[in-house]
Amino acid sequence: MGDSEQPFTLSVSDAELEALQRKLELARLPDEVDGAGWDYGVPLADVKRLLARWQNGFDWRAAEATVNKLPQFTRQVEVEGFGELNIHYVHQKSTVKNAIPLLFVHGWPGHFLEVEKLLPLLTAASPDHPSFHVVALSLPCFGFSDAPAKPGFNGAKYVETCNNLMLALGYNEYVVQGGDWGSFIARRLASTYGNQSVKAFHTNFPNVQVPPSLWKNPQQFFAHAVTPYTAAERAGIERTQWFLTKGCGYSHEQKTQPQTLGYALADSPVALLAWIYEKLVQWTDGYPWEDDEVLTWISVYWFSKPGPAASVRIYYETVVSNEHPKIPTSTIPCGLSFFPKEIIVPPKTWARTIGNVVFESEHQSGGHFAAHEKPEELAADVRAMFGKGGPAFGVVSGRVGYD
Amino acid sequence: MAHDERPFTISVADAELEFLQKKLALSRVPDELEGADWDYGVPLADVKRLLLRWQNGYDWRAAEAEINKIPQFTRQIEVEGFGKLDVHYVHQRSTVENAIPLLFIHGWPGHFLEVRKLLPLFTTASPDHPSFHVVALSLPGFGFSDAPTKRGFNGAKYAETCNKLMLALGYDEYVVQGGDWGSFIARILASKYGHQSVKAFHTNFPNVREPPSLWTHPRQFFAHLITPYSAAERVGLERTQWFVAQGRGYFHEQSTQPQTLGYALADSPVALLAWIYEKLVRWTDAYPWEDDEVLTWISVYWFSRSGPAASLRIYYETIAANEYSAILPTSTIPCGLSFFPKELTIPPKTWARTIGNVVYESRHQSGGHFAAHEKPEELAADIRAMFGKGGPAFGVVSGRAGYD
Repeated sequence: MGDSEQPFTLSVSDAELEALQRKLELARLPDEVDGAGWDYGVPLADVKRLLARWQNGFDWRAAEATVNKLPQFTRQVEVEGFGELNIHYVHQKSTVKNAIPLLFVHGWPGHFLEVEKLLPLLTAASPDHPSFHVVALSLPCFGFSDAPAKPGFNGAKYVETCNNLMLALGYNEYVVQGGDWGSFIARRLASTYGNQSVKAFHTNFPNVQVPPSLWKNPQQFFAHAVTPYTAAERAGIERTQWFLTKGCGYSHEQKTQPQTLGYALADSPVALLAWIYEKLVQWTDGYPWEDDEVLTWISVYWFSKPGPAASVRIYYETVVSNEHPKIPTSTIPCGLSFFPKEIIVPPKTWARTIGNVVFESEHQSGGHFAAHEKPEELAADVRAMFGKGGPAFGVVSGRVGYD
Repeated sequence: MAHDERPFTISVADAELEFLQKKLALSRVPDELEGADWDYGVPLADVKRLLLRWQNGYDWRAAEAEINKIPQFTRQIEVEGFGKLDVHYVHQRSTVENAIPLLFIHGWPGHFLEVRKLLPLFTTASPDHPSFHVVALSLPGFGFSDAPTKRGFNGAKYAETCNKLMLALGYDEYVVQGGDWGSFIARILASKYGHQSVKAFHTNFPNVREPPSLWTHPRQFFAHLITPYSAAERVGLERTQWFVAQGRGYFHEQSTQPQTLGYALADSPVALLAWIYEKLVRWTDAYPWEDDEVLTWISVYWFSRSGPAASLRIYYETIAANEYSAILPTSTIPCGLSFFPKELTIPPKTWARTIGNVVYESRHQSGGHFAAHEKPEELAADIRAMFGKGGPAFGVVSGRAGYD
């Protein structure tokens, strides 16, 4: 079986760029209620400004060239029942030969580029912290990977894809970092391959929405019973409340009627812009988005290989496969980073039911897109977890992160 | 004030039609999973077929001319806190002078045209059944009415608009018929103006999602305790279950982020088509939609005066005003219910009777959410039975019993 890896260069055709511009020229915007602010969704002024920039000033070719500075590849990955999928990924090795192989997994509406700021931090060599060989894939249905053609591509299949990719790259043992769906996938990688190929995982999205149960997590149950919530935890519960009551409309639609929504995201760049930009703002902690930064993000979706409609199917498939809300646990070391503007912010005793939590870090700022908003902090957390003296030091045989 | 009323003709500008065609010519549709059918949403084959027809074959001008056969008007209605809104409505009087004034209220994704098939049935004269003078408005934010520009236009405001329209038309007393939001507004009209201007109401959307409580409806509570559900009621609960689990994504988005979704519906005719067509099919009982019929329906939204995004705000405003999940205040005025098996929320009778002073019930073997469009004969028959001689709401409007 030959190695099917090919170097990948992002190169959107001129025809695609022109087609997008023609659509933007014909954009039709709604009005807005007076003084709406963010109460009804994305403000009209933001959309108008971004639309104007997208038509005039935003330079996709320049953005593309920057993306192409990242070492990207594609290869065929076999997924049982689905044949071979062409998977796109960033693969940056550290100069440290014994760096720890780390798989970074994005979510929705994220993508592989969320790893961009982490790459230099995780791969840098230093006696003071461990180094990593980093792999960041475009999940199937996202970015520049294939989308499966058949129904049923659920969490288990995402997990299989990720593991097969790492094995194909020669990483028989590795660790995982993920937020959003990347967290869901990391936890399932842990429960499926924990103590085999997957040695530990870290997540900045401790998605636990129920308190510990006496039967499953007696230790956390009693801790929860006697420990009052901190001020941060109370704020976290409010943030979670907001998300579950006001911020979940997209999820309800995506998990029940992804195709219906898909027509909007595929046909209208304005629809796609609004749908995603809403999350980029509401899910981050005062992150100072620049217009071109937003437009690059949206463009990755617009120009994605399977198209933006495919990206929302993960919601549907995982629900019909009954993969929510219970995610099986694993005994492998697990690390958690808490950011106050994450969308689900459970108290610590709840979060510790995720698995064998050996590392926790609580931050004063930052939100859902931690790798993009707080790369230094996130990298520091991952380094602390896996470095010398850290609770997950040496989990990968022969690759402790230092030469 | 007769001089406030202006006859209305729909006349979409050529520029608008051309613009729509330009957009359709640039449409980009997604792929679809093998064998997806309706599992993931609207099937691709349906969208492609409708898209093609919309570009080639569908004749909006012909549809427009047909619509304009219905007598339509606009007038300014002052709504407290919102100034004057220009309200569009159908107004068809019966030849029967003492016909009962009836206000028909649509919902989402419905519109004033849902009254179309009912009009001849309601206004026609006969010794065997009552007749009605029919008013069917475009709710503010829909069709060819204005949309309010400020926040806070909630259910109470919709009810105020409706009542003022009827009073302005000289109907000091009237009855109401509504489904979907029309049902919600009918119930608010009953509770605010019951026994004053509003004398009775009928709904085909008995939207009650909880069993009767001992404290508020003791009689229904006990009836519920001891009455087993019929087969139809059990099926109804399953249908409701489906709707709540699978069919409410649109509701969640529209009630929390209507503006975000609004960008999609305003910019993409394909998005609008899919978003609404999904309901036209799922919420009806195998109604044999014709492509041109669907396209006319969608076009009313696309060409609506305030644009399709405005129509979503009713979800946000009513939830924000806590009007939706709270138990709606009831009224003692006569209330009639029609049950159609493919409605979205199909409560058992004991639950539904908590809606108000239910004097009339009718259960059908077929039909869904858009009863006026799917089952006009049956719906008209129900209303005639409720208000006709010998019916439980006969003569509720003084001097207008529905017969000459």
